[in-house]
Amino acid sequence: MAYPGYGAPPQAGYAMGQQDPLYGFFSSVAGQDGQISAEELQRCLTQCGMSGSYKPFNLETCRLMINMLDRDMSGSMGFNEFKELSSALNGWKQNFVTMDRDRSGTIDAQEMQQALSSMGYNFSPQALGVVLRRHSTLGRIAFDDYVACCVRLRSLTDHFRRRDSSQQGTAAFQYDDFIQVTMSS
Amino acid sequence: MAYHSPYRAAPQINAPPDQGFLWNIFQRVDKDRSGVISDSELQQALSNGTWTPFNPVTVRSIISMFDRENKGGVNFNEFAGVWKYITDWQNIFRTYDRDNSGFIDKNELKQALTGFGYRLSDQFYGTLIEKFDRQRKGQVAFDDFIQCCIVLQRLTDVFRRYDTDQDGWIQVSYEQYLSMVFNVV
Repeated sequence: MAYPGYGAPPQAGYAMGQQDPLYGFFSSVAGQDGQISAEELQRCLTQCGMSGSYKPFNLETCRLMINMLDRDMSGSMGFNEFKELSSALNGWKQNFVTMDRDRSGTIDAQEMQQALSSMGYNFSPQALGVVLRRHSTLGRIAFDDYVACCVRLRSLTDHFRRRDSSQQGTAAFQYDDFIQVTMSS
Repeated sequence: MAYHSPYRAAPQINAPPDQGFLWNIFQRVDKDRSGVISDSELQQALSNGTWTPFNPVTVRSIISMFDRENKGGVNFNEFAGVWKYITDWQNIFRTYDRDNSGFIDKNELKQALTGFGYRLSDQFYGTLIEKFDRQRKGQVAFDDFIQCCIVLQRLTDVFRRYDTDQDGWIQVSYEQYLSMVFNVV
């Protein structure tokens, strides 16, 4: 079973957050506490053009993004987490744009499979089918859905790995934990 | 633990309604007199207390729960079940909407779900509200409350299927885990 790679490591090069071009967008939305909520993240990603020519991200997708990196369980995102997210988003967007040759804003099931495969996910046809059914509309996957899918896969894989203590490819879940992990990812 | 106590709707405090009464309601809801109440007919007949349409996802869930013939609607016999289901939920909602606001806030949700036997972190109730609150009020209306409970129940059901020894723990492979999750949420 393949564990997916998580893309490029955090960018080196910016000694202080303030010099980072992304910091401007972030701090204009975050305010004093330096944290952003799902609504604010949605605004921030729109402002910095993260979704490019595609429709802005759904609020639920933004919520999933926050949960993906929310290590302190605060329900909000700080700048470092935002940078990590941007890095991941750029990678995913690259993949999508490459596949979306006709600029329709959607890709088909086969392209989705290729995209997931290139991220290191090697799903059986059955598992792929379940994932696609949940994140496609009439056989096509829009950019927001694609990102939501990538975010969830990363979150859930993370949760799974942490419970696979013997690294054998099976994880143990206690019921209350399962409910909470599943609903927030 | 919600897990072991049979998670069910409100205790039977209402006598079953008489057929004449139900038939009256059925006819009023079945606007096109097709003999089958469709999703849209049921949606129009239900109120979530906000003057906005009842959550269509919840309507679909309810219809599919009682539609024994996969016809995309419920006939009169099946409607009895729908009526009771919704009445039970109304009773539960009224019970936990302690301040009678017409909405269930985070604390009231916590009391409701704890009452059903779930053991969830305080933080998680915030996640649930954010996830299900379509009115963006930080509280859940009647339809969104039902939807939340339906999803929690589905997750519980899928967990139970894997917990063969009923000890509240499951051991699953990566793909089994993803399939469980993406099939429900």
